[in-house]
Amino acid sequence: MSNTNENWLERNTFHHGAFWDLLKLVEEKEKKGLKISLCIPTLNEEKTIGKEVLILRSELMERYPLVDEFAVIDSGSEDKTLEVASNYGADVYLASDILPEVGHKRGKGENLWKAIHQLEGDIICYVDADISNIHPRFVYGLVAPLIHREEISYVKAFYDRPLNYSSGLRPSGGGRVTEILIRPLFSLFYPELAHIIQPLSGEYAARREVLEKIPFPIGYGVETSHLLDLFEMHGLETFAQTDLDRRVHRNQTTNALGKMSFGILQTFFNRLHAQGKLDRMPDLETFYRRFEVDDGRYSQLIQEVVEEERPPMIDIEGYQKRLSST
Amino acid sequence: MDNDTILSELLQGIAKRTEKIRDKRDSLLTDAVLLGETPSPTYGEDKRIRVIVDRFRENGLNSPIIDEFGNASAHLPGLEGQSSILIMAHADSVFSPDIRHEIQVGSDHMTGPGIADNALGLAAMIALPRLLKELGIQLRDDLILVANTRSLGRANLEGAKAFLETMSSPVRAGICVEGSTLGRLSYSGLGTLRGEITLQVPSDYDWKRFGASGAISHLTSLINQIREIAIPKEPKTQLVFGGLRCGSSFNTSPRQGTLRFEITSEGDDIIGHMEDQLNEICEQFSAETGTQVNMEVVAKRKNCSIPFTHPLVKTTRSIMQELGITPQVDPSTGDLNALILGGLPAVTLGLTTVKNLREINETVQLDPLYAGITQLVSLIQAIDQGICES
Repeated sequence: MSNTNENWLERNTFHHGAFWDLLKLVEEKEKKGLKISLCIPTLNEEKTIGKEVLILRSELMERYPLVDEFAVIDSGSEDKTLEVASNYGADVYLASDILPEVGHKRGKGENLWKAIHQLEGDIICYVDADISNIHPRFVYGLVAPLIHREEISYVKAFYDRPLNYSSGLRPSGGGRVTEILIRPLFSLFYPELAHIIQPLSGEYAARREVLEKIPFPIGYGVETSHLLDLFEMHGLETFAQTDLDRRVHRNQTTNALGKMSFGILQTFFNRLHAQGKLDRMPDLETFYRRFEVDDGRYSQLIQEVVEEERPPMIDIEGYQKRLSST
Repeated sequence: MDNDTILSELLQGIAKRTEKIRDKRDSLLTDAVLLGETPSPTYGEDKRIRVIVDRFRENGLNSPIIDEFGNASAHLPGLEGQSSILIMAHADSVFSPDIRHEIQVGSDHMTGPGIADNALGLAAMIALPRLLKELGIQLRDDLILVANTRSLGRANLEGAKAFLETMSSPVRAGICVEGSTLGRLSYSGLGTLRGEITLQVPSDYDWKRFGASGAISHLTSLINQIREIAIPKEPKTQLVFGGLRCGSSFNTSPRQGTLRFEITSEGDDIIGHMEDQLNEICEQFSAETGTQVNMEVVAKRKNCSIPFTHPLVKTTRSIMQELGITPQVDPSTGDLNALILGGLPAVTLGLTTVKNLREINETVQLDPLYAGITQLVSLIQAIDQGICES
């Protein structure tokens, strides 16, 4: 990995604590004339949506006017999600009512995509609806790098300070699909993207000018496709990532994760195919890339994993001799 | 103007005030959630206190202070500032930091450990400067806002007592704010004794002696003996066993156990007498069974009260009546004792209706809350206008 990329980790990885001064952030946003929209995609989230709307609206619109527009875009909830969200003052939309001429597909990606049309912000921040420890940092931590640094256009969240080991080192705590599927895939095909600590996190903020130019898978592949497409168009420098500390959410069953992985793989192989990486398969990387955190500093741990192979035993001379002697 | 005229002017438009408070509810509810999600066990309130101090600052109060007992306080200067009104809400919670402090927000309620006791009370106290401003109320007195630590359980009101000792300016009256329950009107502190009885089976205990047994059986006999103590109907007295800890397995007799209890009584003499009886029972039990039985008094406070006819109580009742709140007179065992024993006229008010108090699923109803806040604001105004003094 080149030095430039090592620096990327230093330069473009933030901790939300760096942006605690919201007055300053609002000032900077106003100076730059930016408008910020917040979008929460929902489907049956009555348990957590009330708190998200209450806290984010009251802290980031009323107390500190960082967010200019707050929308809940719903896929057709059958519980009280819409009632609770509008009770706490969110603008509530049904995804099917936005751009009806293009039809309706049911999936989170659909809501995120239609938000680009419905909302007016120069920056759109997406936050999942199932966060039970919601806090304003989930939004300001993501939009702050976009306010401060013009060359950054897409900021991803990462979470969960993992356990401290006696050595003082902590492995990165991605989810199971991240660790088992995405990180090995990125290490093989897109080693530079392996710098993104949690490629699947559902919280990110991006500039309209990049969001409007990429396709949106409507299902599980949306986060992966954003990374692959923007990397292809703008390189690693367009990304940043922010540590938002702990995120508490529903635990998914292994079956659900299998389904999710299947969707992600479709998105992934579509890109490989489109970028000619499947037809003209490059030499596969042998370096596996993961993360370590030490004293609040993130570094990539690169391990060579060479899958050496032995030929069939029947081809080995010694074995053939043994067979003929018996 | 006489007091009645001042009060009736003050009560005009009280319903409108409730509506305005309802409109401005978001940051109050947000603070209740954020405070409720910050664990704050007695003696471990520092994280929640930091959140409160940040909020004091964000709400424009200059130089909030954290004293050596961990109490957080701030001043809202009044027009004249010759005296002050003290608003207290205890910052500690009965819940251990190990349980998940998650507050759920529904359309008409919020649920989670400690949301009523006392995240909501704290949030209301913090919201006062902003609410007064939005309602166009400018006080003559300074308003002193205190989030006091070390109130519950063994702490014996340590935080509130220590804060009162440091106060220098004259205080007209005090109000303790609790989330639970709307209609609560406390103007007296109940005499209380909290104790812990520890029974230990010594290492050289003779397991062959007649009646030998482990700590659980011994504690059961001891509790039965304590239950024989005659508890008078007048003055009203109550003995509650609040906790019993003993043993850790299915098949091993434990050697140690602890019983927690509380005596509350309107008669200080009764409490003293019952304490003597408990000591005697423990001594006798110890001698007869060869076990070690120790009683430790962890908190003790005397009865105290301001009269039912005190203008502060009378005015509170009038405000409640105007808001359609039925007063429930309820002697306090909390911080109010420290205020009244410290010579201040003071009351405790509750803010809304509550279900499952002190359970993990403690729930506050939001609809009655706005009248609860209006009663608090109106009482502050009444004190400020000098109609709550005897």
